[in-house]
Amino acid sequence: MRLRILPKEEVPRMVQALMADYRVVGPKAKGPKFVFEPITDPSEIRLDYNITILPPKVALQPPQERVARINLEGEVPQPEPLIEAEPTVIFGAHTCDVHALRLLDRAFTADYPDSHYLERRRQTLVISLECLEPCDEHSFCKDMGTLTADEGYDLHLTDIGDAYTVHVGTEAGEAALEKYATTRAATDEDMRRLNEVLSAKWPRFTHRLNFDAAELPSLLATAYDHPIWAELGERCLSCGSCTNVCPTCYCFNMLDTISLTLKEALRIRRWDSCQLDEFARVAGGENFREARAARQRHRFFRKGKWLRERFDTTGCVGCGRCIRACLVNINIVEVFNTIHGSA
Amino acid sequence: MAGNKSQGAKSQGAKSQGKVKVAFFDFACCEGCQLTVIDSLQTHLDLLEAVEIVNFREASSEGRQDYQIAFVEGSITREQDEERLRRIREQADILVALGACAHTAGVNALKNLKPLDEVRQYVYGEHADWYDTYPARPISAVVEVDAFIPGCPIDREEFVEVVKALLVGKKPPIPDYPVCVECKLKGNVCVFHVGKVCMGPVTRAGCGAICPTYGDGCEGCRGLIPNPNENAMEEVLDEAGLTLDEIMDRFTMFNAYRELEAGE
Repeated sequence: MRLRILPKEEVPRMVQALMADYRVVGPKAKGPKFVFEPITDPSEIRLDYNITILPPKVALQPPQERVARINLEGEVPQPEPLIEAEPTVIFGAHTCDVHALRLLDRAFTADYPDSHYLERRRQTLVISLECLEPCDEHSFCKDMGTLTADEGYDLHLTDIGDAYTVHVGTEAGEAALEKYATTRAATDEDMRRLNEVLSAKWPRFTHRLNFDAAELPSLLATAYDHPIWAELGERCLSCGSCTNVCPTCYCFNMLDTISLTLKEALRIRRWDSCQLDEFARVAGGENFREARAARQRHRFFRKGKWLRERFDTTGCVGCGRCIRACLVNINIVEVFNTIHGSA
Repeated sequence: MAGNKSQGAKSQGAKSQGKVKVAFFDFACCEGCQLTVIDSLQTHLDLLEAVEIVNFREASSEGRQDYQIAFVEGSITREQDEERLRRIREQADILVALGACAHTAGVNALKNLKPLDEVRQYVYGEHADWYDTYPARPISAVVEVDAFIPGCPIDREEFVEVVKALLVGKKPPIPDYPVCVECKLKGNVCVFHVGKVCMGPVTRAGCGAICPTYGDGCEGCRGLIPNPNENAMEEVLDEAGLTLDEIMDRFTMFNAYRELEAGE
């Protein structure tokens, strides 16, 4: 393990230096909340943020993007791919979100490698940040095994008081650190403080699941007809907020928009949500997941079972964003505990 | 493959020869949606390249009847409205409800919540007898409507998208999902989290969540989504501290016609 020390007063200089060559996407205040957005001034970065409204996935899979330009002037439409990628640094991602990026990497590589996502990913450096305090009462990262990360970042920062330790995860991270930051080697005293900080953090996070998350797939396998889905169906607004704020959701829809001259069209990709009434509606009007209860069940099965089975990494990272966003208080921890309690 | 040719779609749309002829008409409304159309003609100059406006009282003195697409603003509130609307329907290949008043009866339907005599007295005073009126209805209650553009007023970008879709014979891209989707995609702070209330969870999107984006709750002007969970929405408003009357006000401000129909 190779550790460098980044004094806190060096952080704005590092961000400023990165901004010359990269779009730096970091946590900023937005009203009483935080968001990952492009940083325009290093002083905007709030590394003391708790949780952002949307996850840093916005830098890799934007809510809406143009994916192709289609020329309609000839006999047959001529599509031309549009890949809107630029060198980007995700600065200050918490480890739950780092785990989520690993799932997205797998999802966008499996079956049909997604050139748009992968090109953005190729041009992106991830600088993550160790969490020392729970975001709030809704995070359950400790249960989901995302309270720390061993991989998935280029550089990883841990706050040890007046400085950050920097763990170098990749060669690209190492090169960036050398080029953009002024650091020094870690001393024995730095290491002592790091160990102190890390051992102090674990007891601050409590377990909220009443069982081991590794049991989720087998637990859900017995719960397909559980009465809880009907209850959730009664409560759910189908507003899609739970999935739209989720760092491991990646479903999208494609839309075409044509120019007024009718000579050119743009193909747009937008986030979609399995919770929306129209998500599983097909030509002819048939809807394969018409009941809200069925849509809720689908979401929990994806988070607890299907994604894990398919991508061999947790489908839910315990960030708690869906709980905070839900206006009818549907709480994934309570849902899983209820199912476990009745198993 | 014929399906790949946009020509195939065009013949189904209103474009046969030359520019498509469009007309604008209004019934009971403030004409704000037509103002938005006039505004969009200034920001999207290509519109006038794409279509020919043959009848638009608010913008032009010309008044031809050879239109293919009719945009109709306003609610139906009188017998004689029905006859006029039917004539428009007969002429138009495509009839589009323009804005909340035509689409859902909008705020006009608030009067349906009160006895008609009382409403007439309130508005016209001693001349109440001079003016004919009955409970407000959306235009779809009188004639078949091919497409609608929701909102009070309409969103100009959406208007342009609808025109483009009609020109190529496609179904206009009006979302069936709620305002919350657009609001979340913008990364907005939920207005419920700053102590306000919002009809966004059950209101049809397409406005870009403009009100919550500027910090105000959605008023529901675009009508409700298909299959809204109204009971859950009432509970959310109740939990936010609204009284039953205030909750009903939220549901009826723009959607009184629907609520009354559902209650019958």
